[in-house]
Amino acid sequence: MGKEVIVVGGGIAGMQAALSLRERGAEPVIVERAERLGGKLAGWHKLFPTFTPAEEVLGPLRRRVEEAGIRVLTGTEVEELVPGGVVVSGGRRLAGDATVVCSGFELFDARLKEEYGYGIYDNVFTTVDVERMFNEGRVATAQGAAPRRIAFLHCVGSRDEKVGAHHCSRVCCITGVKQAIEMKELFPAAEIYNFYMDIRMFGPGYEELYRRAQLDYHINFVRGRISEASQTIDGRVQIKAEDTLVGRPLKMTVDMLVLIVGMKGGASNGSFARSGGLQVAGNGFMQPLDPFAGNVLSQRDDVFYAGTVTAPKNIGESLNEGVAVAERVAGYLKL
Amino acid sequence: MMTYYDHFVIPFLVGTFFMFAVLLWKWGRWLWMLPGEDKRAVGRGIFSAETFRAVREVVCESLLHRKIFRVNPLLGYMHMSLAFGWFLLIAVGWVEAATVLGPGTPLQAHVFFRYFGPEGEAGWNPFAFVMDLLLLMVLSGVLLAWFKRMRSRAMGMKRTTRHVFVDRVALTALWLIFPLRLTAESFTAAIRHNGGFLTGSLGDLIASGMSAATVADLNTAAWWAYSFALAAFFIAMPFSRYMHIFTEVPLIFLRRYRLRSGPREKSFDNFQIQACSRCGICLDPCQLQRDLGLDNVQSVYFLRDRRYGKLTDEVLGNCLMCGLCEARCPVGIELNVLRLNSRQKRVDSPALMRYDYLKGADRSSGSGKVGYFAGCMTLLTPATLQAMEKIFAAAGEEVWWADRDGGSCCGRPLKLSGEVNAAERIMERNKELFRKHGIATLVTSCPICLKVFREDYALEGIEVLHHTEYILRLMRAGRLDVERTPDTFTYHDPCELGRGSGIYEEPRELIRSVGRLTEPAHHGAEALCCGSSLANTVIDDGQQVAIGRAMTAELEATGAKTIVTACPLCKKAVGRAASVRVADVAQVVAEHLRVAAEVPCGKVRTEPVGERIAAAEAASGR
Amino acid sequence: MPQFGFTISQPRAVNLDTNDLVPAEKILHDLPELQTCIACGSCTATCTAGNLTSFNFRKVHTLVRRGEYREAYEQMDKCMLCGKCRLVCPRGINTRAVVMKIKRELGDY
Repeated sequence: MGKEVIVVGGGIAGMQAALSLRERGAEPVIVERAERLGGKLAGWHKLFPTFTPAEEVLGPLRRRVEEAGIRVLTGTEVEELVPGGVVVSGGRRLAGDATVVCSGFELFDARLKEEYGYGIYDNVFTTVDVERMFNEGRVATAQGAAPRRIAFLHCVGSRDEKVGAHHCSRVCCITGVKQAIEMKELFPAAEIYNFYMDIRMFGPGYEELYRRAQLDYHINFVRGRISEASQTIDGRVQIKAEDTLVGRPLKMTVDMLVLIVGMKGGASNGSFARSGGLQVAGNGFMQPLDPFAGNVLSQRDDVFYAGTVTAPKNIGESLNEGVAVAERVAGYLKL
Repeated sequence: MMTYYDHFVIPFLVGTFFMFAVLLWKWGRWLWMLPGEDKRAVGRGIFSAETFRAVREVVCESLLHRKIFRVNPLLGYMHMSLAFGWFLLIAVGWVEAATVLGPGTPLQAHVFFRYFGPEGEAGWNPFAFVMDLLLLMVLSGVLLAWFKRMRSRAMGMKRTTRHVFVDRVALTALWLIFPLRLTAESFTAAIRHNGGFLTGSLGDLIASGMSAATVADLNTAAWWAYSFALAAFFIAMPFSRYMHIFTEVPLIFLRRYRLRSGPREKSFDNFQIQACSRCGICLDPCQLQRDLGLDNVQSVYFLRDRRYGKLTDEVLGNCLMCGLCEARCPVGIELNVLRLNSRQKRVDSPALMRYDYLKGADRSSGSGKVGYFAGCMTLLTPATLQAMEKIFAAAGEEVWWADRDGGSCCGRPLKLSGEVNAAERIMERNKELFRKHGIATLVTSCPICLKVFREDYALEGIEVLHHTEYILRLMRAGRLDVERTPDTFTYHDPCELGRGSGIYEEPRELIRSVGRLTEPAHHGAEALCCGSSLANTVIDDGQQVAIGRAMTAELEATGAKTIVTACPLCKKAVGRAASVRVADVAQVVAEHLRVAAEVPCGKVRTEPVGERIAAAEAASGR
Repeated sequence: MPQFGFTISQPRAVNLDTNDLVPAEKILHDLPELQTCIACGSCTATCTAGNLTSFNFRKVHTLVRRGEYREAYEQMDKCMLCGKCRLVCPRGINTRAVVMKIKRELGDY
């Protein structure tokens, strides 16, 4: 019987961490809030920048977790981190020699930006809604028509002090570009406009995809943040922005407005910090021990991090942290 | 004939003469400079019943300090014992001197009666008894004042005012006057046996423990000190906060004669400003102090700095104008009006051509006897707008939409920042617009707009309503029907709607018609400001959020599932801090409407306006 | 005549070697958050006055920060101080204070 390691969260980082820990001879147990493993990626259709189906990443991870015989507790939420383990929903205590927190992020609730009309107007969507539509294979306006004009708005819930988010969520820029291309492929006749403040293409192949979006897909990039939206008599959405490169206000009516929602820190972070003696960073994500050699370590020797619990990250980075954290846990447990 | 003179009376006489000369000069000048209209109002008022009411108010407030009693009984007693006690000491002393020495005795004989009056006789002297009793009462007030300086919390005040030098001089003198009087009268009682139960007993004690020569020396010294203390107080008084003692009296009369401060500075302001006693009651309720730790911008400091000509932009602009302090001011000074006219003086310009671009600019749509003016901020809270649309449709109301596609500002934000002339330009344009479309009722969702429409627009023939008043009216007329739910709501009173416009009950009645209402700790006239007030031009975003968080915590503490408010700005501010849902009253009603057929929302549109706008721009020479 | 923005957009380079930046620094000293503007344009998009005139708040305050003061006062005079811009600014800039400060500092230009 090896050392028991509790993995909080069964998203991609959690699954990868559990797999790597198992390879090193530990006994990981994944505690997942949802009924199924997969985390946020489970709702995604295709991945940037390659348009790889999300299932191609998720499927093998799930299969390997099953094949390795890793214990998985689904439908179980970790409420507190305590010395020597965690407390899960119902007050039950789970003992472990170490804990790896892979509880990920939350999506920004677009209703908080009331001026964009999400939940008020019929044809305002979020990137999450669009992925769902892609998955369901039915992409249409609320009236059931094929959109002829679509606007994407970047940075909804990111870099916005009005919603308490100073940070950049990093992956939304490329998500917006990816979805714009997918929309264009579905509706070749549609005009697509992406409204942005800055385009941050930080990953390999991202800038190239941005260029293709402009050159091959004729996506229009307008440098300006939409200030507000209103609904027209025929249920379309009228948006207002400043085309800052022209220096004049811009108004247009679109069939769909897609809000590219950002990432925010997990809802349980506060409780983890309180119960576990850990630190939450100013942006609401957990604060790793240091941002260089210690970015999977916490302020406590037996608690570790992997994935987006500490900051917005893309899939590759999250998986890498799952691998890296196993090395650090192994060192701590002398495996 | 006795002259009642000794050298020590000189400081007192000089001080008294000086004080009355300054007082007469100040009041005379302020009255002389009153605008004609105000002078006529005074002329009309003097011979009316208002004069009697004013006299009564002077007794209740200036002497008895009834309002301060309501804030805190101990604080009230302190002020009353000092003011009323001193007043009685003077009045009874006058009667005593006049009775004993005969009429026509000079001032100093009244004030220093124990020194100049006759030797004490055997038996009980009722005057000496009463005078000692009064002195004891004043001394207890002085003692409390000392105590308050050290332990303000005990008097129901967390903070007291920081005073200027001349205030300290006057305060020190005031603190010394009565102990010195006690000392002097006791020494005299030791020699002349003319004291009451207090000074007499102390006098006996002194006489038994000291040689007659020492007592005589110390007696003279004590009267000199007493006279000097009085002189110091009287000379400092007109330039210190104690100017309020006398200024409150003409203020009460002038107020009774319907004099008020206005959007522009005028002479009457001086009576209000110098009637401030700097008691500091305005410090504690101020959220800038409570939540941000700013303790140098409150009304007391604004009035002080304006009085001494040291007003800075920082102090002037840093006020939410929520009205919390105004409601508590024991002198009833129009704090917001005065602050606004200071701002006006600082920034206003003639603004003759400003906002000409609004001429002919009309982005309105629809038509009807009811006009709806969303207000700039409501355009950023479309859920409120949509709810209003649903309510209008459910009631079958024909509506003229003034600004749904973007319109003009109401003018109040400019007014709040002091640009009164510019605000008037905007108001003229809006009035033209309202008249052009022939509306009979003007409904707005923004309390800021509401206040300016009601107070400054003079819209004869057009009734101005906040949407909460309007919706309640529809409901009472049976034009709206709502479903009750077991849900709990709490309500935040917007400053401009509650204290600003006196609308407290309408939104509450609407909420109660759909669910249960629980009140936060501060509500109604005591409600807190959301922190996003347009009146404050100084605090930054983080400070706004800090105020918003503190007040939202009170709302969340009610346990209600929904925080309801009736102002787009409050809604945004509370929304930034709340973890529960925040909604406008209109939304709450619209969500619970019992409608026969579902009414389509947001499906009314304006005609193109581009041409008209271009024409307007061209007309304004751009 | 067509409306091509407004006249303070001079057809010449912004010359930071010759422009007098002292008034701009004074404004930034009093309202340091103005430095954080990321030129997203929300203020101008939502602007009540900007939707009726050629007033562009973002452009005017940016030019002021570069030491270009011509007509800044006159432009800011179009503002109605309604405060919508402050409500939408993602950087939490006290835009109304910026308008008032610019008018106060540049009243003589």
